[in-house]
Amino acid sequence: MAKKRERLEVIKDILITIRDTRKIKPTRLLYASNLSPQMFKEYINELLGKSFIKLEVDDKEKKTFSLTKKGQEFLQEYKVIENFVENFGL
Amino acid sequence: MIYELIIQNKEILKVPYGFMICLICAIIFFRTDRLFKISSHQGIRYFRNAFLFFSLAFLIRYVMGSPLLLPFAHENFFFIIKGALEFFFIMAGFFLLYSLIWKNIETPGSHFISSLFNPIILLFYLMTFLILAVDYIWQTYLLMFLSQIIVFVIASAISFNNYLNSPGGFPKFYFLAMILSLTTWILNAIAALFEWNQILIINISIINIIIFLLFLFGVIKFTKGV
Repeated sequence: MAKKRERLEVIKDILITIRDTRKIKPTRLLYASNLSPQMFKEYINELLGKSFIKLEVDDKEKKTFSLTKKGQEFLQEYKVIENFVENFGL
Repeated sequence: MIYELIIQNKEILKVPYGFMICLICAIIFFRTDRLFKISSHQGIRYFRNAFLFFSLAFLIRYVMGSPLLLPFAHENFFFIIKGALEFFFIMAGFFLLYSLIWKNIETPGSHFISSLFNPIILLFYLMTFLILAVDYIWQTYLLMFLSQIIVFVIASAISFNNYLNSPGGFPKFYFLAMILSLTTWILNAIAALFEWNQILIINISIINIIIFLLFLFGVIKFTKGV
């Protein structure tokens, strides 16, 4: 059985998907994240709350997620954050 | 011989000792600032709060509480010092424990704006004020000691589990720091029973320095380059 992804790892995976696609629709991101719709909603709310991603709505009411500067910084320092959190059991 | 020397100069030594622990806590707090700002990680947030409160507790205990400052003391000085001291120590312990268990309590969607005032932390404040009230009525530190012994028994068990899952490296030192913290609270309770035995108090102070240096070592090690 595959190991359950850690919370921080899920966040990293979502952010990498958004970064690699630059702009992604919510449905596509849901499929790519491999999360249940409920969990996906919770993570997206968390990422929006932390200003790691932003939601854009165009003229045709199409919604897309893109990465913010803070989200990019998180990905750059991910290894340091992961090490710290793991070693201190946070 | 060394103990005698320390006991003779204890009032003077309390001040640099307090400053030293405060400084270590302040370094831990500020070194993790950028890490928290980048990650907005709740665990890092509660961990930092713990050291902020430890810093305030030691500042009060050893600097403001020093008899060197007695000439400037108000008549309610000791009442306020005792209350504030207990408050910051108990809350620091709660924050440290909560930094280890928050992910089992909070869901990804529960984004609390403040880590100092949210429904769970308010529960800790409530418990702390209850402990303060009972200790005040009984004129002891009994419930503070008891609460912190329970907190560090749980924290030691969690950190031991973390160490088993990732043997070697820093989790070993973190577990050691938790066991030493538990030891100091037990020794504090014993010291209180024996009219604050001076030798015991000196040993507790030495262990305290080791504990905070262990945390500082880990923080410096894992925040390099941030």
